[in-house]
Amino acid sequence: MSASGSSSSLPETSPENHKTRTRTKTGKTGRNEPMKLSTTGLFAKLLAGSALVGALATSGAHAADLRMSWWGGDSRHVATQKALKACGDKYGHTIKAEFTGFDGYLEKLTTQMAGGTEADIMQVNWPWLPLFSRKGDGFADLSKLKGLDLSNWTQAELASGEMNGVLQGIPVSTSGRVFFFNTTTFKKAGIPVPESWDGFFAATKVLKEKLGKDYYTFNAVKETAQLLITLVVVQKTGKDLVDPKTNRVAWTVDELADGISFYQKLVDAGAIHSMKEDAAAGNVNLFEKPDWADGHIAGSYEWDSTYDKYAKPLKEGEVLEPVEMLRVPGAVTDGVYRKPSMVFSISKHSQNPEAAAQVLNCLLNEPEGIDALGTTRGIPSSKAATARLGQDTSKVGVANAIVMGASGPTVSPFNENPEARGAFLDTLEQFAYGQLDAKDAAGQIIDSVNDVLAKFD
Amino acid sequence: MKGQRLLGLGYLTPYIVGLLVFTAVPFLASLYLSFTSYDLMNSPRWSGIANYVRLFTRDRTFIRSLNVTLLYVFLTVPLKLTFALFIAAILNYKLKFINVFRTAFYVPSILGGSIAIAVLWRYLFASEGLVNMALGAVGFGPVDWFGDPTNALFTITLLRCWQFGSAMVIFLAALQSIDRSLYEAAEIDGAGKVRTFFFITLPLLTPVIFFNLIMQMVQAFQEFNGPYIITQGGPLKSTYLLPLYIYEEAFKKFNMGYASAIAWVLFLIIMVLTLVAFWSSRKWVYYAGDKRS
Repeated sequence: MSASGSSSSLPETSPENHKTRTRTKTGKTGRNEPMKLSTTGLFAKLLAGSALVGALATSGAHAADLRMSWWGGDSRHVATQKALKACGDKYGHTIKAEFTGFDGYLEKLTTQMAGGTEADIMQVNWPWLPLFSRKGDGFADLSKLKGLDLSNWTQAELASGEMNGVLQGIPVSTSGRVFFFNTTTFKKAGIPVPESWDGFFAATKVLKEKLGKDYYTFNAVKETAQLLITLVVVQKTGKDLVDPKTNRVAWTVDELADGISFYQKLVDAGAIHSMKEDAAAGNVNLFEKPDWADGHIAGSYEWDSTYDKYAKPLKEGEVLEPVEMLRVPGAVTDGVYRKPSMVFSISKHSQNPEAAAQVLNCLLNEPEGIDALGTTRGIPSSKAATARLGQDTSKVGVANAIVMGASGPTVSPFNENPEARGAFLDTLEQFAYGQLDAKDAAGQIIDSVNDVLAKFD
Repeated sequence: MKGQRLLGLGYLTPYIVGLLVFTAVPFLASLYLSFTSYDLMNSPRWSGIANYVRLFTRDRTFIRSLNVTLLYVFLTVPLKLTFALFIAAILNYKLKFINVFRTAFYVPSILGGSIAIAVLWRYLFASEGLVNMALGAVGFGPVDWFGDPTNALFTITLLRCWQFGSAMVIFLAALQSIDRSLYEAAEIDGAGKVRTFFFITLPLLTPVIFFNLIMQMVQAFQEFNGPYIITQGGPLKSTYLLPLYIYEEAFKKFNMGYASAIAWVLFLIIMVLTLVAFWSSRKWVYYAGDKRS
């Protein structure tokens, strides 16, 4: 899947540039720092010479040596290297590729950021922005770099990459949670795929009567359970978990308690496994469960871009379809959980921010980059890219269209803050095991999440 | 002579440098960090004993995790040592293909700490796993190994006990070094197998039991892979051992200072228990030739 820990250097495109490339003590390429090492005369002269030429070469956006880091699978690694080669050739830059799988990427990036040795261009998971750039000063301000054409993004998209009003990351693609249902199971029971939550509960009853008690309409464990509760509360209130004005939980105890009770209703109706049952099964991923493969679990609420991950393990004849958002009675919004799936950021320590912006623009807005990258990072957010790639008619494209067409408030990255999420899930588990009632659980979640949010004041 | 000394130092230098750079410096750095607030992005800020005060006065997760860890160690170590000694005693008999059996019993300890075995364990003890199928075949109902907070820790403990091979090999070596004449004398005096085991074998094994006790205790306090892969510390934090808590605080929440404080508390607990074990060893460990014995 992934080439963990791999890195490769793209071919040099500028002989002059090759001569000028030097490396500082922190591992960054570009302009030299004063050398304090005791060296031979020749070595000192060489270094001094390269420093002079290096300083000259890096003063503009031409012939720069850059590094770019990202996580992903093999297809993304291959496409991105191809895109970097194309964009590097176009502008005469050399871009060193540093890629890995998702696991461990955050730890690696954190260590690099702490030491100031991060790559010039970085792929950053959107919820990590507050971790690295609480005050909007963790990365370079992208709005101040000339090379990047920001007119390809809407104001809302750009706002999602801002921290404290400073553009810290440019959204690469937009992703959201969407419902997938196994239409074969519903067909077997002789009922249509539900279109509302009321229809969902009615369908669950029929499914269990006709196919057996070991059939479940849905799946909701861990993050999915949290996001399902979030969905219901957002549909009823129209508010995201975090109020952006106060940086505190926007929901009242009663509103969240309602969402938690809805989760319990799903368990009581036999629509989903209880948390205890899931733990007993060994916390296996949904797509690895035999019950998912043979249609005994007939639906879930997942990222649109993960359609293939869930569709491929299904047995022959089982069909998985992305469907429109289910709404609770009296919903004020679809409550879609839509967010930038990832952003590209430029290091504030970069010696060549303009060159990095030029490459970034090429990757996201220019034919060379767009063609090479394709949809390896989801359906692109850039208007130029979507126009060039045309409409995606695959199931992933259909799922993405549902996400993009649904309504909902702007989602705060704090929804996925590791500490806030941990507090939410720990309390939800206590509720599921009967240690707390819905109201106490809601109160505890709000207090814990507010404590986390207070750290970011 | 001087040249030889320099040569010796030359050979030692890589080890000493490695020890200083990769062990001593991080060790001392973590002590310093435990008195700071440090999120990796900003410089550490001195906070005195605030982390330690929070640990013991406001952090219910730490107290819960500490209790779980102590329970895990006190369950695992005696069980594992007893089991390892039992198997070693059996493998000490002269049987056909004994070396094959010895190898077979040692293999789990090589594989035991790996991720693959932890994943296998998850499937074995799942609600519809092999263990419950076997129980069903002999007329028992299924057991909720992972979903029930009481059973989950026991299931993780079993994984640790299954890795008894290294302790077993040490016991086996010690068993083979016991002077046969002692057994012959006991036999002539009419002692049975059980009596011989408790009055000859066991006393002569006490130095090795002591060694294994210390080693296994230290390892058990540092257990991470099993609970991380199988239960992720749940349900209801029933398998949330301190190393998991340290990992989450450090690498998921970026509270490096706080994580360092937890690590130092864990270190002090291990040190105190080791000192207690050393102190008590004077009462129960028998060294042949030692005048105190």
